[in-house]
Amino acid sequence: MTSLDRARELLREFPVVDGHNDLPWALREQVRYDLAARDIAVRQDAHLHTDLPRLREGGVGAQYWSVYVRSDLPDAVPATLEQIDCVRQLIDRHPQDLRAALTAADMEAARTEGRIASLMGAEGGHSIANSLGVLRALYALGVRYMTLTHNDNVDWADSATDEPRAGGLTAFGREVVREMNRLGMLVDLSHVAPTTMRDALDTSTAPVIFSHSSARAVCDHPRNIPDDVLERLPANGGVAMVTFVPKFVLQAAVDWTAAADDNLRAHGFHHLDGTAEAMKVHQAFEERHPRPVATVATVADHLDHMREVAGVDHLGIGGDYDGTAFTPEGLADVSGYPNLLAELLDRGWSNADLAKLTWQNAVRVLGAAEDVSRALAETSAPSHATLEALDG
Amino acid sequence: MADLQDEVHPTTEVAALPLEDPFADPLDLLDTSGPSGDPLDRAHALLNDHPVADGYTGLPWVLRHLPWYDLEEGESAVDTDVPRLREGHVGALFWSLHLPEGLAADRAVGATLEQLDLVRSVIQAHPEGLRLARSAGHVIDARNCGRIAVLLGPATAAALDDSLGILRALHTLGLRVLTLAGTSWASGAGLTRFGEEVVREMNRLGVVADLSGASEATITRVLALSRTPVLCTRSAARSLRPHPDNLPDALLTALGAAKGLCLVPLTAEQTGPTVRDVADHLDHVRALAGPDCVGLSGTYDAGVAHPQELADASGYPRLIAELLRRGWPESDIALLTWGNVQRVLRTADFVARSARERREPSTATIAELDG
Repeated sequence: MTSLDRARELLREFPVVDGHNDLPWALREQVRYDLAARDIAVRQDAHLHTDLPRLREGGVGAQYWSVYVRSDLPDAVPATLEQIDCVRQLIDRHPQDLRAALTAADMEAARTEGRIASLMGAEGGHSIANSLGVLRALYALGVRYMTLTHNDNVDWADSATDEPRAGGLTAFGREVVREMNRLGMLVDLSHVAPTTMRDALDTSTAPVIFSHSSARAVCDHPRNIPDDVLERLPANGGVAMVTFVPKFVLQAAVDWTAAADDNLRAHGFHHLDGTAEAMKVHQAFEERHPRPVATVATVADHLDHMREVAGVDHLGIGGDYDGTAFTPEGLADVSGYPNLLAELLDRGWSNADLAKLTWQNAVRVLGAAEDVSRALAETSAPSHATLEALDG
Repeated sequence: MADLQDEVHPTTEVAALPLEDPFADPLDLLDTSGPSGDPLDRAHALLNDHPVADGYTGLPWVLRHLPWYDLEEGESAVDTDVPRLREGHVGALFWSLHLPEGLAADRAVGATLEQLDLVRSVIQAHPEGLRLARSAGHVIDARNCGRIAVLLGPATAAALDDSLGILRALHTLGLRVLTLAGTSWASGAGLTRFGEEVVREMNRLGVVADLSGASEATITRVLALSRTPVLCTRSAARSLRPHPDNLPDALLTALGAAKGLCLVPLTAEQTGPTVRDVADHLDHVRALAGPDCVGLSGTYDAGVAHPQELADASGYPRLIAELLRRGWPESDIALLTWGNVQRVLRTADFVARSARERREPSTATIAELDG
């Protein structure tokens, strides 16, 4: 039996829980939520990384659908509600394949039924507009993790990719973390600055997650996790879900992306400019400098390192499909997870290790957040703290 | 997920003939000077069987600004608390999620979510007195458990931020009533094409339209379009008292023909300063719209003055006593206090269930329909 066959067999028992997938945003941008126009019941290779046939092929058993909205636009709250509505509609349209999941028990029930547990994660504190009431409303709507920031700082937390301002979490930021603990919403530390990671670990009484981040020691990019933070995961109980995004995991791709961005800026464009003129400049750059390609082995290198530092009980997978333009070879879309498992088998990971990586760790961490929430329910009431009152 | 809880429950039928009590003392039946004689006693007895489903309280916005309150024991800072609701025989209450005028439009969605959250946490903090009700069946369940049913709404149309996805999200959180006024798609000019799509989606979800404060053009169009009966959560008779939210006779008649419900507010400004004034409005609405189409709206904690003897939620028996003196049949009073609201909620639930079989969630956008 080849490693790939063994990987597929393993996934039948312990499928992948993926921490981050941006299908809702892709559907918003491409077809304005016209779900019939991008029917995920059939393959959508030309448009999306994600559809049901490929999720099945990839052995995915649970998916945190990101209800991401841009952090550089006003009105994050209304758009977040629309994203949540999109996920609910996806679940309603495909009851044979998707099952709404709010708890670890729901995830296990979905696995038993052979459906894909569908959870929601909000990507960035901007989605709550500095309001704990809005945070609770998102929880009531089914959101089970919130990334504390996206690419930009929020008033109460520093992002990894913005200028430091709060120096981590402010007093209100710590209150947000406590309220998330009380609710049973996982604190997601992808995208945040290392100072914010450390403050959140100091504050949270529940395990945290990194829904899509890799190891900084392997590839020096601010989106990755420094070793001193990975080392704290055993005590915290949390899970770091490795991401595949080439420009975060492959040093050559990091350098290439920086050079490509510099080139755009030198021509007078913003580095995220997607207009035809900007793309033309970018294409000319790419012809002169071929884009470095990440592979399954690149991602496996991260997992080997993260395992060494954090331990096998604190690893997971967060592909960031449909949230990134490029993907590694062998992990081109959501059908690729078996290739990653095959690579890890070849590197000597045991079946038990892989079961933890794909399924058990991620389910455990949500269950643990529920336990903390139940314990806190006895002694605490909803917080009515405000940014103004705590941060002045 | 909430939809699973929408089953129709066996209910206490309004205006059903009371069963004879086999253990009643036969002598009681001969006693005409006792409880059955005094209108106030009769009002209490009647309200015991058919409590008030009150169409509007402004409590959420008031509570938002109180540092501390206890609705269970009684709270002097507000007009509405559990002891007074019980004294007034209020069995169900719509909690308004309206926002004060002047709140920036781009804050409306977040502020409405905060209001929903506040109501949910108030209910959680008062489990002995209050229970969240999402459907007609839940209202009955709450009553059977001796709890006051809390229904969420009306909310302001601005809370939709012109998005049907947001309407669906608010409905998921329990919203049952939306006021169709003050937006580009429900304005003085009536409903736009997007506005009509909003009404269709509300029908599909079971969110009832509130037309108090809506323009005549909007009211007329919604009455024709909506497959679910509408509410006017705070409207009296304009021919008795000129107020922009009161309904002219023609609209009262049209509302009755559409089996909508005019919930008469107990406010001095809209109905007048005395119990008799309120009763005059109820007489008038009942005459024009019909006994099936009139109800009550306390409008407490909404920053308005109330008629004498109706200063807070405990005053309903005095109003019902007045109606008894005026010769209202008990069956009409049962409809007024409880039955009509139950009918509208039940019809809305039924229409939603059947509409969802046939209609996909609407993906229409305001840009597409209204250009």
